[in-house]
Amino acid sequence: MKLRTTFIAPAAILMAITVLAPLAIIVVYSLLTRGAYGGVELPWTIENFTRIWDPVYGIIFLRSFWIAAVATALCLALGFPLAMFIARSGPRKNLYLSLVILPFWTSFLIRTYAWMFLLRDTGIVNTALQALRIIREPLPLLYNDGAVILGLVYGFLPFMVLPLYATLERLDPSLLEAAADLGSRPWQVLVRVTLPLCTPGIRAGAILVFVPCLGTYLTSDLLGGSKTVLIGNLVQNQFTASRDWPFGAALSLVLMAVAMVLLFAVRNRGEELL
Amino acid sequence: MRRGLAVYAAGAYAFLHVPLLILAVFSFNSSRFAVWQGFSLQWYRAVAADSNLIEASVNSLEIAIAATLAATVLGTLAAYGLWKRGSAWLSGSMYLSLVTPEIVTGASLLALFQWIFRFAHLRLGMHTVILAHVGFSLAYVVVVVLARLRSFDRTLEEAALDLGATEFGAFHRVTLPYLAPAIAAAAMLAFTVSIDDYVITSLVAGVDSQTLPMVIYAMARRGVNPALNAVSTLVVFGLGMLIMLSERLRRT
Amino acid sequence: MNRRAFLIGAATAAACNRGPRLNVFNWSDYVAPDTIPNFEREFGLRVRYGTYESVPEMLAKVMSGNSGWDVVFPSAEYIQPMRDMGLLARLRHDWLPNLGALDSQFQKPPWDPNLEWSVPYMHGATGIVYQKSLGWTPRAWSDLWDSRLAGKLTMLDDPPEVLAACLETLGDSINSSDPGQLKAAQQRAIAQKPLVRAYLNAEVRDQLVSGDVGAAQAWAVTAAQAIAAASERSDGVSVSKLAFAFPSEGFPRYADNVAILRESSRMEAAHHFINYLLRPRVAAAIVETTRTAACNGAAQEFLPEALRSDPVLYPPAETLARGEWFAPQSAAGQRLRDRLWTEIKT
Repeated sequence: MKLRTTFIAPAAILMAITVLAPLAIIVVYSLLTRGAYGGVELPWTIENFTRIWDPVYGIIFLRSFWIAAVATALCLALGFPLAMFIARSGPRKNLYLSLVILPFWTSFLIRTYAWMFLLRDTGIVNTALQALRIIREPLPLLYNDGAVILGLVYGFLPFMVLPLYATLERLDPSLLEAAADLGSRPWQVLVRVTLPLCTPGIRAGAILVFVPCLGTYLTSDLLGGSKTVLIGNLVQNQFTASRDWPFGAALSLVLMAVAMVLLFAVRNRGEELL
Repeated sequence: MRRGLAVYAAGAYAFLHVPLLILAVFSFNSSRFAVWQGFSLQWYRAVAADSNLIEASVNSLEIAIAATLAATVLGTLAAYGLWKRGSAWLSGSMYLSLVTPEIVTGASLLALFQWIFRFAHLRLGMHTVILAHVGFSLAYVVVVVLARLRSFDRTLEEAALDLGATEFGAFHRVTLPYLAPAIAAAAMLAFTVSIDDYVITSLVAGVDSQTLPMVIYAMARRGVNPALNAVSTLVVFGLGMLIMLSERLRRT
Repeated sequence: MNRRAFLIGAATAAACNRGPRLNVFNWSDYVAPDTIPNFEREFGLRVRYGTYESVPEMLAKVMSGNSGWDVVFPSAEYIQPMRDMGLLARLRHDWLPNLGALDSQFQKPPWDPNLEWSVPYMHGATGIVYQKSLGWTPRAWSDLWDSRLAGKLTMLDDPPEVLAACLETLGDSINSSDPGQLKAAQQRAIAQKPLVRAYLNAEVRDQLVSGDVGAAQAWAVTAAQAIAAASERSDGVSVSKLAFAFPSEGFPRYADNVAILRESSRMEAAHHFINYLLRPRVAAAIVETTRTAACNGAAQEFLPEALRSDPVLYPPAETLARGEWFAPQSAAGQRLRDRLWTEIKT
């Protein structure tokens, strides 16, 4: 057991500094008042929390959850077959894995601009569709919720693929062979054997995608035309343009609490994420 | 099903890489705008001449490599420790680091550092950025490695102990090799998260620690700039070469 | 690769330590390519040049009083708050002989009449950019509520600017903190939302040039860049697809200023830098690169004719008289505006 303590200690110290201490600061800030020109000052107040009890913010929370959920579901649907392919590709596994990650080593911002370039009214997609006479007027592909979801899926796919791959990779092929020998067809093997064995990976991937999607703001600003406020935009605003750190702190604590509740609700004893 | 998967994978890779191809193509465009007007290397020349950009890229690499190494090592050890016996505090803080929006992490870390710096005579700089990066990457590493550990047979380690190995020996000789693919995946994830981080880095960076995402963000906000296309194409090309190289080495 | 990166990094770091330093924190895209190198060469200093995209971003860094930056460029409405927070250093005019180069309207600006804390750098206004192919000319803010622009209109993603446009259409001041006026302005913004394609800042430039956008609320600098990019020469004259209008109801004006942080230990070097920026030729070079309007009056004669007489950058005095400067908001006013903006966007 002594080894285990030594192993955990460095990480624990790191978390204390980079997570717990800042969290304490956020809690303190959420109970203070906004300074005249930004920053925080006394008096203590719970007004920042009571302010949140307002239909406007309720709508924002719900919309953010909806978009994050759709993006996560799509990531799962698109990422699972890809992860399966990589896990079964034999000696070239690492190559294929790297090819998934490679686009993500360029700037997220640049990739988002590339999508904007593609989806614009005068962009390649619309021009091609018009040239092929499939449509007559350009489709409004940009500046709507669909574009935001596309951007999110594109941005978070590796966070789904990597954990899925990690669990699929160690899947014992003899289990699948056994199922096939017993008369199951490929689809049945998939649903009844593979998927259940992959639930840790699915859970991990879903969380690694859903949670950041909740807090996203750049994607909805750029691909959504900044027309809708999501929770991420709201919090971001408080810490920058509005310089209302206490309200921003309160909002993010509520968001984090909701996310933690969700994590707790989907956990499975013995198969925890962390 | 195998062929179906391969076809699907081809489509998925196309989806992932098409925007990059577009960027690459237009990085050779002689015009600054989105209309093709002839082949030109001027944007690559502009990138090579931009010392700001180069310095920022070097900074980004340094930070990403340092943070990835630290996060992977610390995270693997932590995952192993958690697998042996859970720790509510450690798990709890890692969950928190995952659910906290980046802007909040960045702003609160900035506040923490500034408070600490009142007593210690330090400033924001590369060290604060690296510390922040290791902090937010750790949870990702632990998630990936722990997922793999959950499927590891404990009795294998017990057998090693029975045969006279030390605790560390059992870990080193039995468990670690089994974890290798997960560690590689986790390292890749940590590197990705670090090299592209903008929000947290921009808040805790000091005077000397401009990173590539910060420079790119500033350039991109002004609109289309083919120099950015050139940068991203260079990065993809360089890293792509590295991957091909490591694949070649692996085969020998 | 690890060692290589380390060596390069170490070499860079070593190079940086050569010679005395000056740390300048500016908006991105706000100097000419040779502005900084020329300064470094002439004064034997090594300049560390960082950029930011918004004043709150800069403020978050410098508010601690220990950021390491020496020179910053706040917008006019932030000068008084920053002074009240004790962030700025008093300027020594005996170290700034070039102050006379400033245009007369900026010698005694409303936000810093004695130029004790700041020196005006670049200024501009907000107005309407539109495609000439529209067939009609938007001349007033209220024209941006015209249903002919549906789906082809963009507004700035900037709460003070959008509320300013709405307030102007109602005849109120852009700095109003009266709840009644602000709520009415908010209703106008909500009414306009179905027509709005997106809320974009400087990114709208490319969409204007490509024709995706028909009319946009934009800063003069963005407009000038877009007009220049979308123009062709015919018969020796530049003709552009785009045009700019200063709205008839009035419009906001902005000015970015140079200031020295009180934490700075390099006062003399910082003053040298400000004085250098005030040189007419230096300012003119910056204007040519960035297409902003300089507060430096003496720089005008070094500008090419096309820029000097550019109606977007240097409109006639009667036009400018319709403009109004942004002023700092009280905490309560700011909070109300934030709340209204959130509701507009929801």
